Amino acid sequence: MKKVLILVFILSLCLVSCIRKDTAEDVTSKNVISQTVETFEFPPVAKTVTIDGVDYLQSQAEIGNFGGELISSTIGEGPKTFNPFNAKDATSDTMASLMYDGLVTSRPDNGEVVPKLAKSFTISPDGKVYTFYLRKGIKWSDGKPITADDVVFTWNKIILAGLGNTSTRDSVMIDGQLPKVEKINDYTVKFTTIKPFAPFLRNLTTPIAPKHVFENAVNKGEQYFDSFLGTTTPPKEFVISGPFKLKEYVAAQRVVYERNPNYYMINNNNEKLPYLNKLVFLIVGDLNNEILKFEAGEIDIISLRGSTVGKYKEKENKADYKIYNLGADTGTMFVAINMSHGKDKNGKFFVEPKKQLWFNDKNFRTAVDWAIDREGIVNNIANGLGKPLFTAESLNSIYLNKELAKGHGKDREKAVLYLRKSGFYQKDGILYDRFGNRVEFDLYTNAGNTEREAIGVMVKQDLEDLGMKVNFKPIEFNSLVNKLVNDPQWDMTIMGLTGSPLEPHGGKNVWYSKGSLHLFNQRVVEMPLFPWEKELDRIIDEASLKIGFNDRKKLYDKYQEIIYDEKPIIYLYSPVRVVAIRKKFGNIYPSELSGVTYNLEEIFIKEGQ
Amino acid sequence: MQILKYILKRILQTIPLLIIVSLISFFIIRLSPVDPLAELKLNPAISQETLQKETERLGLDKPIYIQYAKWGKSFIKGDLGYCSTGEKVSDKLMERIPNTLLLTSLVIFMTWVVGIPLGILAAVKQNSLTDKVLTVLTSIGMAIPSFFFAILLLIFAVKTGWFPVGGLTSYNFAEMSLLGKIGDLTKHLILPVTVLFTISLAGLQRQMRANLLDVLDSDYVKFARAKGLSEPVVIFKHALRNALNPLITLLGFEFASLLSGAALTEYVFQYPGLGRLILEAVLKSDINLVMASLMIGAIMLILGNLIADILLIITDPRIRGGQ
Repeated sequence: MKKVLILVFILSLCLVSCIRKDTAEDVTSKNVISQTVETFEFPPVAKTVTIDGVDYLQSQAEIGNFGGELISSTIGEGPKTFNPFNAKDATSDTMASLMYDGLVTSRPDNGEVVPKLAKSFTISPDGKVYTFYLRKGIKWSDGKPITADDVVFTWNKIILAGLGNTSTRDSVMIDGQLPKVEKINDYTVKFTTIKPFAPFLRNLTTPIAPKHVFENAVNKGEQYFDSFLGTTTPPKEFVISGPFKLKEYVAAQRVVYERNPNYYMINNNNEKLPYLNKLVFLIVGDLNNEILKFEAGEIDIISLRGSTVGKYKEKENKADYKIYNLGADTGTMFVAINMSHGKDKNGKFFVEPKKQLWFNDKNFRTAVDWAIDREGIVNNIANGLGKPLFTAESLNSIYLNKELAKGHGKDREKAVLYLRKSGFYQKDGILYDRFGNRVEFDLYTNAGNTEREAIGVMVKQDLEDLGMKVNFKPIEFNSLVNKLVNDPQWDMTIMGLTGSPLEPHGGKNVWYSKGSLHLFNQRVVEMPLFPWEKELDRIIDEASLKIGFNDRKKLYDKYQEIIYDEKPIIYLYSPVRVVAIRKKFGNIYPSELSGVTYNLEEIFIKEGQ
Repeated sequence: MQILKYILKRILQTIPLLIIVSLISFFIIRLSPVDPLAELKLNPAISQETLQKETERLGLDKPIYIQYAKWGKSFIKGDLGYCSTGEKVSDKLMERIPNTLLLTSLVIFMTWVVGIPLGILAAVKQNSLTDKVLTVLTSIGMAIPSFFFAILLLIFAVKTGWFPVGGLTSYNFAEMSLLGKIGDLTKHLILPVTVLFTISLAGLQRQMRANLLDVLDSDYVKFARAKGLSEPVVIFKHALRNALNPLITLLGFEFASLLSGAALTEYVFQYPGLGRLILEAVLKSDINLVMASLMIGAIMLILGNLIADILLIITDPRIRGGQ
């Protein structure tokens, strides 16, 4: 027995010595953020040059070396399809869109729409006709020319016909009417909308499909199209216009792309891009595995989260990677307050009448807003990797109302004052409304999301400081969604949504009074509109009809102001994105709007690496 | 002839069993609050029409018994249906089954080749130093949880850089020579195989040792020894054959675990096998995929037991007599 004990002891010693502690405690993520902000100039926008009758797109970025590969990763189960029109999840969308360019793209620095596959475009003075001029002489990867037929086919036969993922179709529908797409000649296409519609132009970033490949699949009908160019399609059947072409897909392991030699982008030496020979995405199951893979040098780029940032930052000088702070991303974390005063089928109120009085009271909502310590949440929960948020538009949105975004700190006194204005009073540390009801309600979030659960605990504390009683109930995600969408029996909820930094119109499902995600006043039954809800509806409609950025900006400023004043949703914070990428890569221009690898065709491996 | 009749009888018995298994699993999955469309519903960019279309495509608008009937009908025809993402379930399974089979059959083969002799050795040399060392090692093997062991090895791989961090092949696998490919596979397989091997070896070795000790103590072995037979003849001809019986039943269970036994380890090592696929499917309530994997699990278990029983009939005259 003694021998056994000694053996066990020795073994455990071995194990303990294996696990070395290597985290740096003194580097807080907060410092890291201030250290990593760095200014640099974006290269000028690529321009069109014509060589031997071919309208190339010429990159203005630094000239690099050809060859090499970039290995990235994707978390989850990998792509479900490589057909860009069928992609319904972010991974499939990224993987498929790599291979098919759209007519236009967004500038990484300011989000402006610039031509990509198209050479140029004009918008008629009435804002209803968009004329696109295509590049002459550019080719699909199989050598066939890219022409107006491909564009017209893609729009009329795939997108507007409702094949695959219909989100583009949904977002270009104006008053139930679809735009018209016509071929003028081989290199000119005309889009006509029934009304001027601002979000339309950005929808033209949608990929264009090669007609000679897709036509057969389209003719075979919806069911066939749904499985067309799926994950089991041999890579050689892909005919593409983008910089990288699928080379190999191994389920649950990786997706490998190779350089498209027919790509229409060139550098300042008139050499055809992209520089890299190969692009690899390793499919990893979870965050921890991704970190291990980065540490083992198996991947070149990683999004860093929470406490790992400090650890990586400390080692950065000696390491072969560089850390970039991309600023706040489009994610928003918020507390929604249920203002519904509807009844269910049995005549029972979704929200108890006494609670309706509180939640419909602007002073009550304002008090909640002032009571919450956003800085504390950012520091404690997001490890400093976040920024307090006060507006419906995310902090990197080009339509952000910068005045409102400054926000305010926590002020308990002010909160108490607002409560008093509406007759709430405190006795022995307990808050009562003017009818003597104790202020007590439920706060939900989805269980399992540790971030939201931690926020819930902090919000509960802040509100209980005011004498309210908050029953914090994390419940299963699906049940919560059901409550939010179909059966609004809840009081307050902590949720997060992501939006677009470029197009506020995408948020209309939340803010439109009949929107399918109008959380705080979900209209599962008919209910009269609040005056400000009516105003929001009007602004959303009006802003979509204006084309000029400044006209729209004014309206969207107003819209953020209304939401800020009424506070049906109290925004808490946006996470900050931090990315580490190996130093050997050149032409890395991280952007708040587009991330790090938006210019894959220009990225190269520096000499001697 | 007798055996054929027996097999036929057993196969017929499995039909009601499979129906019950499928009924229970189907209803449990569908009655759980997991909504396959929850993610979509929370996406501000998805329109009401799209949601409606998805609901119809997944058949969620029909009552649950009709959903079951529909599933059952196509299952009998051998059609496993489509995943919620639109891919064919059979395609998805076929992508993963070879990988899992490679891992589990390697492990089972090694375990039996090493475990049985070690068990015999420990039993024959009971209470010797060899037996004690083996006892300590197998106790550790049985006590250590597989996922913990797997994580330890992963840390080891990262720190030393000797092994890749999970996966089955390197990203440039397709360009390697045949020898390079075998080397690459081996490098990736060493760690997961080590975890599974250590754990199942421990169990098998203990089992073999205990069985053999039992038999060695019985009267007929004493009689054989008294007859003056040499020790090897006693052990291998008389004792071992009897001691193997319970292990044959065990082999049947091993057969069932061919496809489902390595899920945890697969997950930690990011091994592209069935485990990861099915975990994801359960979380998303991807009914066709989950049902297919559960039915495969059930069929493998029944088949494994059947094989074990047939083997027993062949090896054990006592059972043959009872038939």
